[in-house]
Amino acid sequence: MSGIYVYSDRLEIAAELIGFAKSGGQAAYALCFSQAEADQLASRGADKVIYLKGDSPLPENYGKALADYLKEQDAELLVVGATARGRDMAARVAGYLDCGMVSDVAALDYSNGQLNTERIIYGGAVVQSETISGFCVVTVAGGKFSPVSGQAEIKTVAVQADPRVTLVETAPITKEGVDLKQAASVVCVGLGLEKEADLKMARDLADVLNAELGCTRGISEERHWLPVEQYIGISGAVIKPQLYISMGVSGQIQHIFGVRDAQFIVAIDSNEKAPIFKFADYGIVGDMYEIIPLLTETLKA
Amino acid sequence: MSKIIACYKWVADEADIRINPDQSVDITKAKGKISDYDKNAIEAAVEAAGKLGGQAVTLTFGNAGAKPSIKDALSRGPEEAYWVKAAEADQADGAVTARALAAAIQKIGDSSLVICAEGASDTYARQIAPRIGAILNLPVISSVIIMTFEGNSLVATRKLEDSLETVKVELPAVVAVLPEANNPPLPGLKAVMAAGKKPLTEYSAADLGIDFKPRNQVVAVKGYVMNRKNIIFDAGDSVSRVKELAAALRKEGVL
Amino acid sequence: MSEADKMDVIIIGAGPAGIACAYILAQAGKEVLVIERAETPGAKNVTGGRLYTYALEMVDKGLTEEAVLERKITHEQIMILSQDKAISIDYHDPSFNREGQVPQSYSILRAQFDEWFAAKAEEIGAMVACGVKVDDLIEKDGKIIGVVAGEDEMYADVVIAADGVNSFMAQKAGLIKDISAHQVGVGIKEVIELPPDTIQERFNLKPDEGAARMILGCTEGIHGGGFLYTNRESISLGCVLMPEEAAAHGKSVHEIFQDLKMHPAIYPLIAGGESIEYGAHLVSEEGYRGIPQKIYREGFLMIGDAAGFVINTGYSIRGIDLAIVSGVAAARAVLNTSASDQVGPAYLQELKNIELLPTMQAVDGYADLLAIPRIYSSYPRIAVGVFERLFTVNGQKPNSLIKNTKEVIKSNGVSMWQLFKDVLRGYKSI
Ligand SMILES: Cc1cc2nc3c(=O)[nH]c(=O)nc-3n(C[C@H](O)[C@H](O)[C@H](O)COP(=O)(O)OP(=O)(O)OC[C@H]3O[C@@H](n4cnc5c(N)ncnc54)[C@H](O)[C@@H]3O)c2cc1C
Ligand SMILES: Cc1cc2nc3c(=O)[nH]c(=O)nc-3n(C[C@H](O)[C@H](O)[C@H](O)COP(=O)(O)OP(=O)(O)OC[C@H]3O[C@@H](n4cnc5c(N)ncnc54)[C@H](O)[C@@H]3O)c2cc1C
Ligand SMILES: Nc1ncnc2c1ncn2[C@@H]1O[C@H](COP(=O)(O)O)[C@@H](O)[C@H]1O
Repeated sequence: MSGIYVYSDRLEIAAELIGFAKSGGQAAYALCFSQAEADQLASRGADKVIYLKGDSPLPENYGKALADYLKEQDAELLVVGATARGRDMAARVAGYLDCGMVSDVAALDYSNGQLNTERIIYGGAVVQSETISGFCVVTVAGGKFSPVSGQAEIKTVAVQADPRVTLVETAPITKEGVDLKQAASVVCVGLGLEKEADLKMARDLADVLNAELGCTRGISEERHWLPVEQYIGISGAVIKPQLYISMGVSGQIQHIFGVRDAQFIVAIDSNEKAPIFKFADYGIVGDMYEIIPLLTETLKA
Repeated sequence: MSKIIACYKWVADEADIRINPDQSVDITKAKGKISDYDKNAIEAAVEAAGKLGGQAVTLTFGNAGAKPSIKDALSRGPEEAYWVKAAEADQADGAVTARALAAAIQKIGDSSLVICAEGASDTYARQIAPRIGAILNLPVISSVIIMTFEGNSLVATRKLEDSLETVKVELPAVVAVLPEANNPPLPGLKAVMAAGKKPLTEYSAADLGIDFKPRNQVVAVKGYVMNRKNIIFDAGDSVSRVKELAAALRKEGVL
Repeated sequence: MSEADKMDVIIIGAGPAGIACAYILAQAGKEVLVIERAETPGAKNVTGGRLYTYALEMVDKGLTEEAVLERKITHEQIMILSQDKAISIDYHDPSFNREGQVPQSYSILRAQFDEWFAAKAEEIGAMVACGVKVDDLIEKDGKIIGVVAGEDEMYADVVIAADGVNSFMAQKAGLIKDISAHQVGVGIKEVIELPPDTIQERFNLKPDEGAARMILGCTEGIHGGGFLYTNRESISLGCVLMPEEAAAHGKSVHEIFQDLKMHPAIYPLIAGGESIEYGAHLVSEEGYRGIPQKIYREGFLMIGDAAGFVINTGYSIRGIDLAIVSGVAAARAVLNTSASDQVGPAYLQELKNIELLPTMQAVDGYADLLAIPRIYSSYPRIAVGVFERLFTVNGQKPNSLIKNTKEVIKSNGVSMWQLFKDVLRGYKSI
C-alpha cells in the first residue's frame, strides 16, 4: 500500500498527522503497536490503522519491524510526531532504510513524491530548507495540523519485536509547572538570579503584571529552581504572550527562539552587550536587583 | 580492552553566526567548538568506563578544521581519539554522518558502548544515535539520564515527556544521553597537558569506504531576522529609566 | 614529585611576552609549559593593535613573514579634536617600508595573532595548556618552585609570570602590591567591521597599507587619548583613560568612548560598519617608574605587562613589542645561567643589553609631560582655535597669526606664563 504512513505515541498528534496526510489527498495509514492504540485511532479518519503486533511493550523495539514493513509496502513517506519516542523511532527507520530524514520541521509540504521542509538550525538563528525525493522520514511537533474524523479498519500484522531492550519499570513524572503557552504576560528569570530566594523578586513583579513566571533552561535543568515546564526556548516552551519581560537573561538564540512571537520583548540585564538587547523592544541596562523592585513599585502606583 | 566510544561533533559556535541584512548567513567568522551537549556524551563515556571497565575513547567525523577539537576532547578524560577526517563532513546529512560513524565504530573494533548526545547544537536533529544502532544492528537507548551497570548489562533511565522509563540491555549498545545525565567538569592542568600526548587515529574516507551520497538536499539557508524596536533606556539614574520604561509600556497598551 | 610533574620552565600567560619566551626556550630544547586561562590564546586580550616587527624578528628571523598580521602601517597620523572640530596630521614615510625589508610595524588583531604565535611555539616544542588558570605559586626555602592550578601542582626550575598588567602572580610572589587606580588607565576598544575597499578609500590607502592614528582632545579633559588602527577588514577604535578622573568628571569611560565614536571627524570613518568586538582592559600608565622595584626572585621572573613594560608617549602605546623583547631577555637569561640564584640578575642584564630598560628610561619624561592636565583640554582647544582663525575667510581683515594665537590662548584661560612653563617642562621631559 503506497501512501503516507503516520505514527505518534501520543494519540492527539497521531490524529493531527492523519489530518495532514489526508489534506494532500493521499492515502493515510496510521501505525501503532498496541490494541488499545489501534482501537482509539480507528475513528480518526485514517484509511487504515495498522497494528504491528509483537510481544514488547516498548514501541522502540519495533523499529526494525516497522522499517521492514514500510519497505515491503512501498511506503512513500513516514510522518512521525516529534516526541522523545517518536524521534527515536523515526531515526531508527531512517537508519535501517538508509533514507533521508528531516527532524522537527517547522513547515512541510509533500507533493509529487517530493518532500519539502523548513527547519530551524543553529539554535534558531537559521532556517534551512531541504527537499528529499523517494521514501523518507519526517518528524513534526504536535499542534501544527487539524485532526479529521472517520472510521478505519484495523489491520493487524504480526511482527517480531527486538527482544534486546527490556522494560524494568516506568514512573510517571508529575507536572508541577504552569502552561506558559496560555499566558498573556510572562516574567522570565535567567542565570543572573543569584539565589533561589530571589525568585520572590520576580514573583512580585509577575503579580503586579498578572503574569506567569518563566525561566531559562539553566534555572530549571541545572539549578532546579523552577519546574521544567517553565523553561522557555527551543527545547522548552515556545510562547506567544503579549508581554515578555526578562531579567538576567543573556538572550542566547536557543532561548530567544521560544519568545520570538511575543508582541513586546522587554529586557533587563546588567551587561549592555548582552545579545538580548538586540531582540528587545525595550530594555534597561542595569542591575536587576535594583531595577526590578523599582519597576514593581512603579507599576503598582 | 573493550572501548566506550563517545561521539562528538565539532560545530560552528552559533553565537558567532552573522545574519546579513539580506538574510544570507555568514558562518565564516564563527569559532568552532565541541557541540555543547557532546561534552555530556564524553563525560558519560568517562564515567561509564570507570564503572564498567574498559577504555573511553572519542570519535568525531569532521573536516580538517576539527583539529583543535582533538586535544579539547581528550583533555576531558578519554584515553584515545579517533577522527574520520573528510571535507565531506561539511555537507553531510544524518544519513552520511551515521554511515561514517558506523564505519569507524566497526573499524575501531571491540566496543561495548557507543555514546552520543541528545542532539548536536547546530542541527539538533537527534538522529545519529538511533541511526548508528540501526546500521550496526545494535540496540539503542535514547533520552538517557542515568546509567548503571550490572555485569555486562546496562540499566538506563530515560526521561520521556511524562514518564521516567528504566530499561535494561545487554551490551554492546548505543546510547544517547540528555544533558541532565552529568555535569562535565572543566579539565584541569594535568588533564590538558596529558591530552597532547594521547594517541590519535585518523581515518580517511578511503580507509573506511564511506558512501558520501546524501539523502537530503539543502535548497536554501536563510537567517532569521527579528525586527524589534531596540529602545534601550541607558541614560539617567535607575528611577528615571524605570519611569521611562513604564511610560513606554503604558503607551503601548500592554499594562 | 614525579618526573612527569616537573618542567624546566613554566610560563603563566600566553600573551606575546609568554609565547616569545616559550618559543626561544623550546627552540633551545627546554621543556617549557605555558599555562593560559583563556580557551584559546588571545581570546580575552584587548589591545589597540599595532606590533613593531623588530621584536618578532628578535624571536626568530623571518617570523614576521609568517605571522598573522593585518596591514603594514604606512601612515602615521595624529588627530586633535575639540568640540566638533579636528586637526589631522598624516605622516607618510616610505622608508618605514622599504622594498625587501621587513616593514616597521603592522596592525594586528590579538585573537588571531596570539593564536598563531602560540601555535608556532607549540610547533617548535613548547606545551601550551589553555583553559587553565594558575591560582598560586609554590614556594620552598624562599625559592619559587612551581604553580598550583585547581587541584594540580606542577614544578619547574623557573616560573615566569607573563600574566599581564596587575600581575596576580607577581603579587603572590610578593613583588608588587595590588595597583592603585592612578597607576593604570582603562582602555576600551571596539572592532568595527568594514569592507577593505571602504577602509582604503576612507584612509587613502593601498590594499596592503594601513594607518595608525593617535587622537588627542577626545577625552573631555581627562588624562588619556584615543587610537585608531586600520585592519584588513575592520577598524580598531578605542581610548585609554584614567578611571579616577573619569569618575570625578561624572561620565563613564564608556560614555566618553561613545562620544568619541560620534565625533563628526570620527564617525564618517566608521559609518556603516558593524561592531564585532568590544572589550576593556587595564594599561599601565607610569612608564619607567611603574616598573616594580624587583622583577625577579629566585626561581621567578616577571616579563611583559606583568613587569610594567609599557611605553605610553601620548602619540603611541607600545606594550606588545616590549612584552616580546622582555620574553626574549628572560629566555636568554634562563639559557645562559646555570646557578639558580643568578638567573634574575642575568635577566636584568639582558634587559639592558637588549635596550629595553634604556629605551624606557629615555622616554620616561613623557609621563611628566602627559601629567599636564592642559594637554587634554586647553591645548587641543587652542590648537583647533588657531586653525579655526587661520582658515576662516569672511571678507574681514584678518589679524596676524601671532595676535590670533595669543587671543586664542587667552580665551582658553591659559596664561602665557603657564604656556611657557608647560613648553619648558615638555622640552625637558622629552
Ligand atoms: C541544543 C541547545 C538547546 C538549548 N535550549 C535551550 C532552551 O530551550 N531554553 C533556554 O533557555 N536555553 C537553552 N539552551 C541554553 C542556551 O544556549 C543558554 O545557555 C541559556 O539560555 C542561557 O541562560 P541565561 O540567559 O539564563 O544565562 P546566562 O547566559 O548565563 O546569562 C545570564 C545573564 O544575567 C546577567 N546578569 C547577571 N547578574 C545580573 C544582575 N545583577 N542584574 C541584571 N543582569 C544580570 C548577565 O549579564 C547575563 O546576561 C540550549 C542550548 C543548546 C546547546
Ligand atoms: C586599549 C589598549 C590598547 C593598546 N594598544 C597597544 C598597541 O597598539 N601597541 C602595543 O604594542 N601595545 C598596546 N597595548 C598594550 C599591550 O596590549 C600590552 O602591553 C601587551 O598585551 C602585553 O603583553 P603581555 O604578554 O605581557 O600580557 P597580556 O597580553 O595581557 O597577556 C597576559 C596573558 O596571561 C593570561 N593570564 C593572566 N592571568 C593568568 C592566570 N592566573 N593563569 C593563566 N593565565 C593567566 C591572560 O589571559 C593573558 O592571555 C594596548 C593596551 C590596551 C589595553
Ligand atoms: N559529525 C559528527 N561526528 C561525531 N559525532 C556526531 C557527529 N554528528 C552528530 N554526532 C553525534 O550525534 C549526536 C546527535 O547529532 P544530531 O542527530 O545531528 O543532532 C551528537 O550530539 C553527537 O554525539
